Amino acid sequence: MEPDQGDDRSRPPANWGVAFDLGLRLGISVILGVVGGLLADGWLRTSPIFTLIGMVLGIGAAMYTIWDVARQSMRR
Amino acid sequence: MVHVEIAAEELFAIGPLIVTNSMVGALLASIVLLLAARWFTRRAAVVPSRGQSILELPIEFLAGIVRGTGGKRWRQFAPLIFAIFLFVLTANWLSLLPGVGTIGLWEGEGEHRILVPFVRAGAADLNFTLGLALISFVAFIAFGLRANGLRGYLKELLVSEPAYMTPLLTPIHLISELSRVISLSMRLFGNVFAGEVLLATMLALTTATLLVLPLAFVVPGVFIMLELLFGLVQALVFALLSMTYITLAIAEHRQHGSDDHHSGEAPEQGTAAANGAA
Repeated sequence: MEPDQGDDRSRPPANWGVAFDLGLRLGISVILGVVGGLLADGWLRTSPIFTLIGMVLGIGAAMYTIWDVARQSMRR
Repeated sequence: MVHVEIAAEELFAIGPLIVTNSMVGALLASIVLLLAARWFTRRAAVVPSRGQSILELPIEFLAGIVRGTGGKRWRQFAPLIFAIFLFVLTANWLSLLPGVGTIGLWEGEGEHRILVPFVRAGAADLNFTLGLALISFVAFIAFGLRANGLRGYLKELLVSEPAYMTPLLTPIHLISELSRVISLSMRLFGNVFAGEVLLATMLALTTATLLVLPLAFVVPGVFIMLELLFGLVQALVFALLSMTYITLAIAEHRQHGSDDHHSGEAPEQGTAAANGAA
């Protein structure tokens, strides 16, 4: 049976997931960037160059995540 | 003293395979689900009985959400979403049964003496949640590949617009994608583990002295009720996020594809659904 697309009651809490997800992904993006940079620095002995690059990329990824979610919401 | 080990405790080993108490919890959840499925397929009737209606309630609830937000292809990934939801829900609720986390063997001496339970919540082990998140991640990639092909998927993932921004944006995109797996696994693990610690703390506080002992019959019960709710919410969030990622993978790629080729196709329901989900 196909759903009635005009009936919002048939799709209640799908937004919850993204709301739960967004905050955590912001922090994890920064941590991933920094940890990746630390590992690269440890391997190449270039501290702290890649740590700083990783931190910038991680912050950038966090911003990208916000933008991506906002873009999806605005298309609605 | 309250002690909840963050890592799952080893019970025994079968060759190189170390069996932990969280693995037993996950295995029990699988067995319960299999038995329920067997019972259900034998007893299910077209006109449901009262018992069957109650059992069908959570499935109908989730089916409504998946139908409404999953796009035209919802039937392809609905079984995976249902399986994830039921598995996480069963594992979470089984961990609240009496004896889970409280019956085991004492190990160690003196102050270091700790109880190693025979069964523990499956999701209180990061390996369990990471495994589920990886299944979800692989499914998300597989549906993206299926909708768009390898070339289109890699182009979407690795090439940015404008092209000169690609060296900067590609690592950012990869970090953002990887954060989905870690976010999925850490959220479920964190919530279930925090629930275990909370229950143990409440029990320890209310049994600390005779003066507050009567509270031991009430306070942990309240928190167990809360944990029932959190177990349901966390299972729902995990399943919904997996569905959202899959829907977005299909819808985004298809939209880029139609933009590239100017095919003039009417926008697929999945696009609208994905947007709704986001």
